[in-house]
Amino acid sequence: MSQLNSVTSAYAPPFKIVAKYFIAAIFSFILLTGLLLLFYKDISGFHFQPKILAITHIATLGWITMIIFGALFQLIPVVLEVKLYSEKLAEMQFWIFLSGVSGLVYSFLNFSDREFMIASAILLNIAMFIFAFNIIATMKNVKKWNITGYYLASSIFFLIVTAIAGLLLAINLAYPYIKTNHLNYLNLHAHVAFIGWVTMVIMGVSFKLIPMFTLSHGYSLKTGKAAFWLINISLLGISTVMHYDNTTILFYIFSALIVVGIYFFLFQMLFIFKKRIRKKFDIGIKYSATAYLMLGLTTILGGVLTVVDYENIKNLTLIYGYIIIFGYVSLLIVGQMYKIVPFLVWYHKYSSKVGLEKVPMLKDMFNDKFAHIQYYLMLTAVFAALFSLALNTDIGILISFIIMFLSSIIFLYNMTTIFRK
Amino acid sequence: MNNNDKIMEALKDVIDPEIGLNIVDLGLIYDIIETEKEITVTMTLTTPGCPMHTSITQWVETAVKQFAPFKSAKVNLIWDPLWSPDRMSSEAKKQLGI
Repeated sequence: MSQLNSVTSAYAPPFKIVAKYFIAAIFSFILLTGLLLLFYKDISGFHFQPKILAITHIATLGWITMIIFGALFQLIPVVLEVKLYSEKLAEMQFWIFLSGVSGLVYSFLNFSDREFMIASAILLNIAMFIFAFNIIATMKNVKKWNITGYYLASSIFFLIVTAIAGLLLAINLAYPYIKTNHLNYLNLHAHVAFIGWVTMVIMGVSFKLIPMFTLSHGYSLKTGKAAFWLINISLLGISTVMHYDNTTILFYIFSALIVVGIYFFLFQMLFIFKKRIRKKFDIGIKYSATAYLMLGLTTILGGVLTVVDYENIKNLTLIYGYIIIFGYVSLLIVGQMYKIVPFLVWYHKYSSKVGLEKVPMLKDMFNDKFAHIQYYLMLTAVFAALFSLALNTDIGILISFIIMFLSSIIFLYNMTTIFRK
Repeated sequence: MNNNDKIMEALKDVIDPEIGLNIVDLGLIYDIIETEKEITVTMTLTTPGCPMHTSITQWVETAVKQFAPFKSAKVNLIWDPLWSPDRMSSEAKKQLGI
């Protein structure tokens, strides 16, 4: 083996660490769609209620953040050509995080035990601080930075802000002390989580993976770089001004700049897609491209919500949350999982067998037809849920949740097929 | 057919499993230098930081070794010049629908 090979193979972390995060996330997705179905009668109405808080945190922590952790442990070393600082910390973090999520969800469902909720929030904070430490220590050794690296570095900062804000909210529920309205603070916690953490990661990773999967070349990254500054500065701005009185105008300006920043990102993706050589969208790219369109839709809705009294329009906050979690983030995650998981399993099991025996192509690792059916089910479920929430019909909500649950079962089937290959 | 052409032919067995095309038609091979003891393949990948990195360079070594078992194989992975779609063969372009 040449020296080059021994160096490059040292970058990627062991398969079992990444797989652990992915498997936990896939089961969280089933739990998420299952609980939605089970509690469908409790969903409509005011959003700040125990069952919705429990479901939201299964989505944001168990599903979305769990996947991101696993994906970043795999991607950061490869994309930034650096070895992960500590595999042991990544392993330890998994168990602490899993306990924290389980505890938090349990305590939301049994709203009486608030000490338990605080303890769970502390566990989650510990896990996130371990993650941040591990990634920062890894990034310290990066020799060649790129746009993906910048996005990921700032996402770590916002993850920590989200975690601390979440802990303060949990404490505030037990011992009220926050002077600002609790729901305003919750609003900040949610937006920093979705824009600063989740979307920043998605953006940074998209700049690397989408050109790689579609073989896109010869585009400028200027718009993507502008998006980085617009979103970071505005999000920091909003997080600061909300603590002061008479800052409504600044709040509107920063919110508008975030909307512009997200659209800059979307235009950057459009430029990348336009320069692609692989014209045909495979299933993973189909999910991802749809998710970007959903992000565009979500962002407009988010912009509208900054100027309307959304708490008084029935189900509007729920519609907003639902389209973010299922329409935008889940579609994107599912799509990327159809690209990343087959690759990781294939790499782990077949890479060394190439040339020695017949090995499958990546696209043969799962049932493509089922993945397409899942795509149409998910899209149908998303729009059915949005209309049903808007019209406030229980039966419509029930049907949409059944369809989403079915789609998650297909996802589980396909992912299991890949892991068993 | 000289030896370099034969090595190129052998390298056509190395397929990028994501794209489904071989690395020669993709235009990833820049140069092959054969000495008495060693064969050095200078090549690139479609994008820096490609996760297939290790696998593809290993397969190239294996393919070269199979072609010349008594020589050592070396892969020299470079990023200058960067790969561009123009480097693909007309066959590869046709398959991708360009």
